[in-house]
Amino acid sequence: MKISDIIGSDPWKPAPAAPVVGFDIGSRGSKGVLLTPDSIYTTFIPTGLYMQETADELLARLLKEAKLRRRDIAYVVGTGYGRISLAYKDIPYQVVTEITCHASGAHALNPRTRTIIDIGGQDSKAIKVDPATGRVLEFVMNDKCAAGTGRFLEKAAVLLGLELDKLGDVSLQATEPAVISSQCVVFAESEMISLRARGERHKDGAAHANIAAGIHFASARRVKSLLGRVGTEPDLVFTGGVANNPGMRHALETLIGARFVPAPIDMIYAGALGAAVHAGRHQAAAAAAKQAGSAAPPRRRAATAAEKPALAHTA
Amino acid sequence: MTNSVFSADLLPIHALIEAEQQAFIADEGGRKRAGYFCAYTPPEILNAAGLRHARLFKAGSPEIVSQGERYTQSVFCDFSKSCIGAFDKEGGDPFYHAVDKLYTFHTCASMKRAAEVIEQFVPTTLLNLPRLRNEAASRDFFRSEILHYRDDVAELVGRAVTDSEVSAQIALYNKVRRLLRDFSELRKRPNPPLTGLDFLELVRGFYYLPPATLLTAYEKLYQKLARTHDDGSRPIRLMISGSIMADGDRRLVELIEREIGARVVVEDHCTGYRPFAHTLREDGDPFAALADGYLDQAPCARMKPLDDSLDFSTGLAEEYGVDGVIYVYLKFCACYGVSKLEFLDRLTASGVPVLEISSDYSVSDIGQLKTRVEAFLEVLQGQRDDRIETNSKEHVHG
Repeated sequence: MKISDIIGSDPWKPAPAAPVVGFDIGSRGSKGVLLTPDSIYTTFIPTGLYMQETADELLARLLKEAKLRRRDIAYVVGTGYGRISLAYKDIPYQVVTEITCHASGAHALNPRTRTIIDIGGQDSKAIKVDPATGRVLEFVMNDKCAAGTGRFLEKAAVLLGLELDKLGDVSLQATEPAVISSQCVVFAESEMISLRARGERHKDGAAHANIAAGIHFASARRVKSLLGRVGTEPDLVFTGGVANNPGMRHALETLIGARFVPAPIDMIYAGALGAAVHAGRHQAAAAAAKQAGSAAPPRRRAATAAEKPALAHTA
Repeated sequence: MTNSVFSADLLPIHALIEAEQQAFIADEGGRKRAGYFCAYTPPEILNAAGLRHARLFKAGSPEIVSQGERYTQSVFCDFSKSCIGAFDKEGGDPFYHAVDKLYTFHTCASMKRAAEVIEQFVPTTLLNLPRLRNEAASRDFFRSEILHYRDDVAELVGRAVTDSEVSAQIALYNKVRRLLRDFSELRKRPNPPLTGLDFLELVRGFYYLPPATLLTAYEKLYQKLARTHDDGSRPIRLMISGSIMADGDRRLVELIEREIGARVVVEDHCTGYRPFAHTLREDGDPFAALADGYLDQAPCARMKPLDDSLDFSTGLAEEYGVDGVIYVYLKFCACYGVSKLEFLDRLTASGVPVLEISSDYSVSDIGQLKTRVEAFLEVLQGQRDDRIETNSKEHVHG
């Protein structure tokens, strides 16, 4: 896809000088984004047992689609919980956390982004972004608990006998959302079971919808609590796989009292896009350093070698 | 141990601590052994009486924590569960089993209840610690509690503990506290010659080693570290603030220093720098000196007014020139969990970025912990890069 088709004909600041790749190896799904100076390619596969194999497959798919060869790729950045397990001998590689990457990805698509809610398979995060730079100002991540994550919605879909991608649509048909008070998945699940067990309306479509809506609201309440310190300044952007769930979007917008800004691409790719944007910057810094030679190292790399590991983990 | 977790030459001190623990368990020398939980318990009295003594502040293994949980509700912190579980006759920790007498000043409700449970395993004396640290009546009362403590210790050893013995111990411990302060002072250098893990080990030594042994070993190390040459690196500087960081609870600092490469340069908690910030009066009535000294030390969040704790925390962050603070509290901690917003707001208002982490002694959340800490360091590094850029622009244009 041409970048100009997504963001219009103005020059796109994050565009890289050479093809770069970002991977977001998540707990459930893995995402890859390949950026060239004028195009963007995306791909998604379920995360496998071996992260490197998953990343290799993502790369093969991206190269095929972009009609490029492996040696054309100037830089790779990995993010997501599998970021640490990746290693490349032939391509420069760095890791950046998904928090920084979601901010960069959302900011690259919409420079007015100030607040991000990211809900993935096992984590949810609220991120406050500096619109001038796309940098993270503050963030809050959920506790080690599945409430308010994609995993919770997955479990709920199974209990209701629904496909995960139908759960959100069904919830929007609710006439009277069920009250699910528990913030804990396990207890919310037992609440669901007792709601279902009330019997007389068991086969009733509205019952499914009402329970599904209750689940989304319970989950959204949990996510909303993350916004406490981060705030809700517009533009408000929803990223991560759960951003595709209209039920969750509706529940969050209702509870927060504000609308998410529509995104130009599927926001499941926000993290991988951010990683690709970082790859572009690393590539530019490396190229500048090479050109300047050892006599005049670029200013941005003023940090000493010993300081570097604080941020940049070279595989 | 070939792959030392320490950056300074701390293996000899580490070995001394291990040997002391073995001697404690093996009852070498046949001296009575006393244990205590909290940094508000003056070891001066225990040492004056010639006891073998140690602060009991180990982070329990998952087995010990769940053993402790048999006696509590789940909403007790993992430290209080660790203390109970380690004393429990089933399972437990041989080091805790070796204790003849436990002294504990009533700090938080969880630890008070823990001490009451532990009474069934070991003779325990529970003493009172006033909260209102600035009241004259608190000082008189605390002094009388310290006298009870002295009498109890005297009964345990079967001889009197004299005023001059206590005075001598105050002077000795002041010397140790000053030395630990000197070590910490080295961390104000842009490239500290010792890591946060190193300093935690020095503090660990303070709570296990007899002060005389400690002074000999530590003075030598201090001289060496003070002469360390600056190799020019400028790591990101962090302060850790919050609940007790128990002996063995090292995963956060290991992550920061050994995996990410940043540095903890100071701790605002009772198992880091905090207990060493204060020097006790050495003249006059030694019990008044202990009462005043321990109430005047940098306060735990269980003391009132909380503003004193907040002032100390922000002051320390500024004094050590930190880039950010990680505020970490044990889940269910009634002191640091409940006052977290005050700490976070005050530190943020003073211009220091803060990351909040709630913690326990499990290991399952290490991935999430890593993501949070790495992302926080990315934020701090970004801010530092911006400062470098702004400075160099000013340099060019100004």
